[in-house]
Amino acid sequence: MDPVAAITVLTTIYVSATFAGSITAILINTPGTAAAAATCLDGFPLAQRGEAGRALGIAVVASTIGGIFSVIVLAIGAPLLARVAYEFRPPEYFALTVFGLSMLASISEGGSVKNLMGGLFGVWLATIGADATTGVERFMFGNYELYQGLNFIPVLVGMFALSELLVQSTRLNQIMEQISMKAVKLPSMADYKKIWKTVLRSCGIGTFIGILPAEGATVASMIGYSEAKRWSKTPEEFGKGAVEGVAGAEAANNAATGGAMVPTMVLGIPGSGTTAVILVGLLVHGLRPGPHLFTEQIDKVYSIFGAMLVANIMFFALGLFAAKLFARVTLVPSGILWPIVFAFSVLGAYSLAQSMIDVYIALAFGVIGYLFRRFGFAIAPVAIGLILGEMVETNLQNSLKMFDGQWWQIPLQPLAAFFLILAVLGISQPYIFSALKRRKDKKQGS
Amino acid sequence: MVFVFCGVVSGISLTLEEALPIMVGDSMQPRVFPIFLMALIAVLNVALIVQILGRPLPRRLWEPRQTWVSALLLGVFYLLTENVDIILALIAVMFTLCLVWGERRLWVAALVAVGTTVAIFFSFDLLLEVRFPRGLFTDWYYG
Repeated sequence: MDPVAAITVLTTIYVSATFAGSITAILINTPGTAAAAATCLDGFPLAQRGEAGRALGIAVVASTIGGIFSVIVLAIGAPLLARVAYEFRPPEYFALTVFGLSMLASISEGGSVKNLMGGLFGVWLATIGADATTGVERFMFGNYELYQGLNFIPVLVGMFALSELLVQSTRLNQIMEQISMKAVKLPSMADYKKIWKTVLRSCGIGTFIGILPAEGATVASMIGYSEAKRWSKTPEEFGKGAVEGVAGAEAANNAATGGAMVPTMVLGIPGSGTTAVILVGLLVHGLRPGPHLFTEQIDKVYSIFGAMLVANIMFFALGLFAAKLFARVTLVPSGILWPIVFAFSVLGAYSLAQSMIDVYIALAFGVIGYLFRRFGFAIAPVAIGLILGEMVETNLQNSLKMFDGQWWQIPLQPLAAFFLILAVLGISQPYIFSALKRRKDKKQGS
Repeated sequence: MVFVFCGVVSGISLTLEEALPIMVGDSMQPRVFPIFLMALIAVLNVALIVQILGRPLPRRLWEPRQTWVSALLLGVFYLLTENVDIILALIAVMFTLCLVWGERRLWVAALVAVGTTVAIFFSFDLLLEVRFPRGLFTDWYYG
């Protein structure tokens, strides 16, 4: 497949799925994606009041504005960042990847310690195979199909798709409350007046959060929602069906899509779990993410940006006219839907290299992913760790060579020091915030 | 469990061969990085234990029957692909999955299993030119 077409498919699914998660969030109180969890809080109460069409209309408009805003930021900001990234040497790249891993501490799923453990497990997975510098075989146990390391695709298929199959099998007996809806309604002038500030604020929040390595739409939507509540004149309505709640969460999560593509394309560091998959897609199709992408294959880069822009406009139309139809997917019985997902997953894992070991890796990681989730670990950190793993180790090795083994020279480089300080802040950020919150609660209590 | 995993991986790392000094230079041996990672994971695990110390352990319910059977079917799929054929394995596992996940009508389960597999097989074979590994069915089909 042509690389641009392939990446277009992936990015279109990415931006559309981020919005589409809100359909089930609003209609059946079940977020289609983790990023739509905040939309449930006010979307479903609105639907229960008989305003499902209005809630979906607000979600469509806010998502489209958020998405388009972030693509514009991506198109302007990515080439600028690429120019800066040209200055990066191994110590800076090493520090940057450490910063990326440290940000796993603050993604919303799991806990910060568990997320860091998952990320490090992913980095360890990346050491399987021959060492890139010396060719020494590691953890291959005589299996030469692993010489070039674990293929990303089967691991991701297993961790995301097959583990989800096992997770869904635990929910077969759940009964969902479903709301009926006539049609999606565009917001009224009164709605626009109420939400425009929230949408603009969430656009900025979402794009900024998206740009931070490892942070994605889920964190963005949570912050977008809480900021919408904080700035609202009627915060007491939140949780009972506030339109600003839907707009704040949806604008932020779609704004994060373009933001998350910035570090993915400019630095080769995934901005979120989903962009980790897109990054793999770029690599599989011969595009090497990094600053050179913006000089050597600029036409392809702008084609991808253009496709994201078109995707955002397309889902506006589809969201308005076909949301009701898409919602019917939830009516497909699990007993039919998931066996089909299983078939596509295993054959998708096989077809990449036409190797059975990839199928077995996908099966194994399906079970590993399920166990991770069962014990409260998020799986996105493992995927991000796996992708960053080689970068971390290779850049550490090259940095040590550069400084004749004097590792303490790495934090003495100004840019590397900057990223390492950010990494320390990234790791301590959840603890700082919870300490501040405790202090605030204590003050309010007394 | 985490400590055991870290111990095993570190133990295996210590058995890895050493690269020639000329290749490594002033950098680290290939065994060092995995051991470093395992040490970090072990430290984080201690932090996790400290965090949950004193808190009541969450009551974990056993997985429902469907989950066990679905996980088992992943293993059955592996055995069937190794010993019989990937396409036949897919049909058998999909058919069983449909039934385990609550589909009562046998003909629907059979239609989903056979229909999906055949559709994917021909689209992969004819459009994407993906060759499947040799087995009972593929031997007959490819000749």
